Amino acid sequence: MSALGAIGFSAPWVLLALAALPAIWWLVRLIPPAPRQTRFPALRLLLDLEQRHDTPERTPWWLILLRLLLAGLVVVGLAGPVLNPPPPGSGEGPLLVVIDDGWAAASHWRERMAALAPRLAAAEAAGRPVRLMTTAPAGEGDMQAPPLLTWAEMKGAVAALQPKPWAVDRKAAADALDDLPEGAVGETLWLDDGVDDGAATDFATRLTRLGPVTRLDLPPGNAALALGMPTLVDNGLEIGIGRALADGPRHLTLLARNEEGQVLGRDIMDLGAEEVGASVTIDLPPELRNKVTRIDIAEEASAAAVRLLDGRWRRRTVGLAFEGGDEDIRPLVSEAFYLERAMSPFADVRRAPLASLLKTPPSVIVLPDVGQVPAALRPDLESFVEKGGLLLRFAGPRFAASADDLLPVKIRQGDRALGGALSWTEPATIAPFPLDSPFAGLAPSPEVKVYRQVLAEPSLDLDKRTWARLTDGTPLITAGKRGAGLIVLVHTSANSDWSGLALSGLYVDLLRRIVDLSDGESATAAGDHMLPPLANLDGFGHLGGIAKGAGPVAAAAIATTAPGPRTPPGYYGDPAARRALALAPELADLAPLPDLPGVVVALPEAAPSVALGPYAIVLALLLAALDLLVALRLGGRLAPTTLAALAVAALLLRPGAPAVAIEAGDAAGTIHLAYVVTGDAETDAMSEAGLRGLSTALRQRTSVEPGDPVGLALDSDELAFYPLIYWPMTEAYAPDPAALERIDSYIKAGGVVLFDTRDITQGAGAMPGGGGSPGDQLLQATLAHLDVPPLVPVPGDHVLTKSFYLLQTFPGRYEGGPLWVEANASPENDGVSGYVIGPNDWAAAWAVDAQGRPLAALDGNGGGRQREMALRFGINLVIYALTGNYKADQVHVPALLERLGQ
Amino acid sequence: MPVSALQGEALGAGLPPLLVAADRVAATVEQGVHGRRRVGLGDSFWQFRPYRAGDEIRGIDWRQSARGDRLYVREREWEAAQTVFLWIDRSGSMDFRSQAHLPTKAERAALLGLALASLLIRGGERVGRIGYDRVGYAGRGYLLSLADALSLPEAAAPSLPPPAELPRDCRAVVIGDLLRPEAEVAALVEGLAAAGVAGHLVQVLDPAEVDFPFTGRNRFIGLEGDGALLVGRAETLADAYRARLAAHREAIEQAARRAGWTVIHHRTDRPAESCLLALYLALADLGRRG
Repeated sequence: MSALGAIGFSAPWVLLALAALPAIWWLVRLIPPAPRQTRFPALRLLLDLEQRHDTPERTPWWLILLRLLLAGLVVVGLAGPVLNPPPPGSGEGPLLVVIDDGWAAASHWRERMAALAPRLAAAEAAGRPVRLMTTAPAGEGDMQAPPLLTWAEMKGAVAALQPKPWAVDRKAAADALDDLPEGAVGETLWLDDGVDDGAATDFATRLTRLGPVTRLDLPPGNAALALGMPTLVDNGLEIGIGRALADGPRHLTLLARNEEGQVLGRDIMDLGAEEVGASVTIDLPPELRNKVTRIDIAEEASAAAVRLLDGRWRRRTVGLAFEGGDEDIRPLVSEAFYLERAMSPFADVRRAPLASLLKTPPSVIVLPDVGQVPAALRPDLESFVEKGGLLLRFAGPRFAASADDLLPVKIRQGDRALGGALSWTEPATIAPFPLDSPFAGLAPSPEVKVYRQVLAEPSLDLDKRTWARLTDGTPLITAGKRGAGLIVLVHTSANSDWSGLALSGLYVDLLRRIVDLSDGESATAAGDHMLPPLANLDGFGHLGGIAKGAGPVAAAAIATTAPGPRTPPGYYGDPAARRALALAPELADLAPLPDLPGVVVALPEAAPSVALGPYAIVLALLLAALDLLVALRLGGRLAPTTLAALAVAALLLRPGAPAVAIEAGDAAGTIHLAYVVTGDAETDAMSEAGLRGLSTALRQRTSVEPGDPVGLALDSDELAFYPLIYWPMTEAYAPDPAALERIDSYIKAGGVVLFDTRDITQGAGAMPGGGGSPGDQLLQATLAHLDVPPLVPVPGDHVLTKSFYLLQTFPGRYEGGPLWVEANASPENDGVSGYVIGPNDWAAAWAVDAQGRPLAALDGNGGGRQREMALRFGINLVIYALTGNYKADQVHVPALLERLGQ
Repeated sequence: MPVSALQGEALGAGLPPLLVAADRVAATVEQGVHGRRRVGLGDSFWQFRPYRAGDEIRGIDWRQSARGDRLYVREREWEAAQTVFLWIDRSGSMDFRSQAHLPTKAERAALLGLALASLLIRGGERVGRIGYDRVGYAGRGYLLSLADALSLPEAAAPSLPPPAELPRDCRAVVIGDLLRPEAEVAALVEGLAAAGVAGHLVQVLDPAEVDFPFTGRNRFIGLEGDGALLVGRAETLADAYRARLAAHREAIEQAARRAGWTVIHHRTDRPAESCLLALYLALADLGRRG
């Protein structure tokens, strides 16, 4: 490749043909265009004229220029000009391309591939042999040495490459390199993912042994982000964000979603330029927090930026069996008081008599100081435990007097007092928790002293059943499985009568650990049985079907299993009690690639190289067509009218102009759906196609037969003819005050406007437009000039939910964005809300092309059903706009019928 | 697109029936329907005159005679028809139009001929074609057969009528482009005039033939196999050509004037009505009288 400034040629010798241009010039000049053939009846008269000797006509200069340009373009085009040609490769021999395709490469996958493409093109042009190696394990077995590929195979392999939702294994890759024969690699091109897996230095050393190594990196600001383990806090979910390298400030949006993908909470945070990570709390009310199944970073698309939540993060409901008792006499020292105060931060505590608790069983039932469970309730309580419930019992004076056998261990009658006035013993403290107990990791405080306890009868499995003990070795907390459930006994009282435990922070931690075991998903309850894969994340963090090659995971090992080809991240188990296998790179362990000796770091070219050859050839073809027309015209075979007709045809062949406002008579005679022309061609075309699709559906399904959709210029067109106006929010469109005044009076006169921010990152905030997304800001700016009444999310019994179809959700291209309507629509407009506001990009879901095929892909996982629901919403909305509160009246039908019956 | 009889009739519908002015009617006198304002054979009453010896008894109008003492004879107006012979040029050079929206010269000539024939037949005159018909025919049937004949293709038709025996004192109308040497046209006119035939020449030309709008390098090809001419820059020839055409016209007009004929010029981009009206006036001699 030879370069000429910013333009290089892949076949420069072809340019020699430019030397032939003078010859072409001479030839073209010599041969004039063929004469026009003219039929002429009065030829006889012409023949009579005295003929003058004309100078032979020359080809016009502009025609010569045209043809020379044409020939020159062909020559230059064939010489393969390239704008910003890629730098020539330095090495010789076969090229080894190493691509890190682990999770860290996923979020900027496109940029990485784009950075690689020009270098591959250059190597292909140089005709070098190539080998391809990917460092993320792709399946079982050892990694193979990279084979030689043809360039067709290479391009196919690179195009088909997808990032894996697990980490790279450079150690295995380095081992695989050993299998390469001598001289198999001349140069290495390494597209890295920027994260050290501990073996990067070793891997780089092996590579440099083979030949020169170029590491292709992305510019700063592209470091992969990962989410840590979320923890439940009082007001939401706390989660850590980390990256390997603090390479600049990042603006991140964390979204907490429920099962349907609906955004329940969000947090926008700015990661400082120097910050490697941060901890973020997503504010969520308790009832929403239980529904969160997924936390992700909106700006990132990788499996590590998605955190799946399973039952472990769900708040448990704890039933506190409470029969009345001494609460009224000693309210501040009762067991129920201590338990409620200790558990309410992490659980929903319900205080009720045992009988009513058993009617709707919670996750955990706590029996403080109950010696004998009433016989009438005993079978129900047993079946609650058998089915997987957790029964937590505390000792106490009544319990010590007579305990039943619904216990993990046998209890000696009576209690043991430590450190009393008549005793030599000291009050006991709690021993460190054994590693296999659920409390492992908690530190017992020496201040916590236990004065009284109940003792277990010695038995063979007592040791196994003991989770916590006192320093003297007597059990403090014992547990035993019963059926699918668990019975836990705390050998001291739930209040401060018997021990200082209830006064310490350890009490809360212990209770939290115990409660976390409930719901059948506890660590101890999870045995050795295998959990089959249920749904897996792909490399980009999309939760899809079961990944190829995914196998079952042992239930006990799910927390420690490292994701890999056999165990891709995702949900495992059965749908009712699934467990999330997280791609959990420890945030603290994320490390950038160290300085690798002998490895040249290269950044992608700022301007990608562009092959200009095809453009030159196309231009030459256009000139050839023009030359043909000119030749025909000069030969008299093409009348000017034909040329004009060709031009008109070319004009007509342009894509159709968008629909515009129509005649008043037509507008009033037929119903037309209308949209706001924003001036952004793409948005307008989508609005037009969307309303066309909705109109078709209306014609097919309802007695509403709308005409073609109409585009409205808000500042000039008459709005009164249109029952419904669709307004897609786009940055390109800023309506002037007069237009806003018109739309305001339109809505007040009974019109309906569907404001579509087309932006799902809008949270479940307290106001529409409350989020920080561009669509929200636009909406806010627009609504600020309108006389907006109070808005509410669509109530479940709103007319919109039943005006034609019965609906509860209103999906568009996105699912789950909230839909807002007027809280108290004025009765003058039949109670119709003039404002319908939502983020779901409905036009895209409605849009069909001329053949009736859908135009846009949908974002949710609903597919055809989601599109159908979107259409149903559209139909409901149109019927709502046309019929007002007619359907709302139907609620009175039963009352009317009843009256008629009398 | 051949011209139909109906088109010809429609073109002439705006004009009254054409009664050819004739000082002397053709020798092939046939009885016509229009009086010649003199006594003769006919159906219409002309005058009563006193009975003279030698008049036939059955010529006496008894009703008139009964009014008085004298006998009167009823005389009728002489009613006869003039015969007009047409020539419609159907040679190769007539099959030409310079622009798509114009009719070809042949179409225009046929239309004019049919319209004229229609007018004549409505006027009770007789019509024939030079070289095809020996006598003239009346009645709409002839119009239809004329239209039929004009719509059929004719191979190697001559530009000018061949020498033919025409009855004395008939009229001749020659419609064509007359793009033949002036001597040929003059010979035709003189030959017919010598046979006592008065007539009219209608020169139908395409606007391109009149204006010569061509520019640039052109190869002009004749339509009657008369060769081709390559011209480097056609615009340089335009003035000379127009002068040559004017001279050609002048020569023909002179020849016609000498024989007492008239020449009507017509361009295909002008309405046919104007030419038909000129023909009407010429044939009815209205122009001369007015």
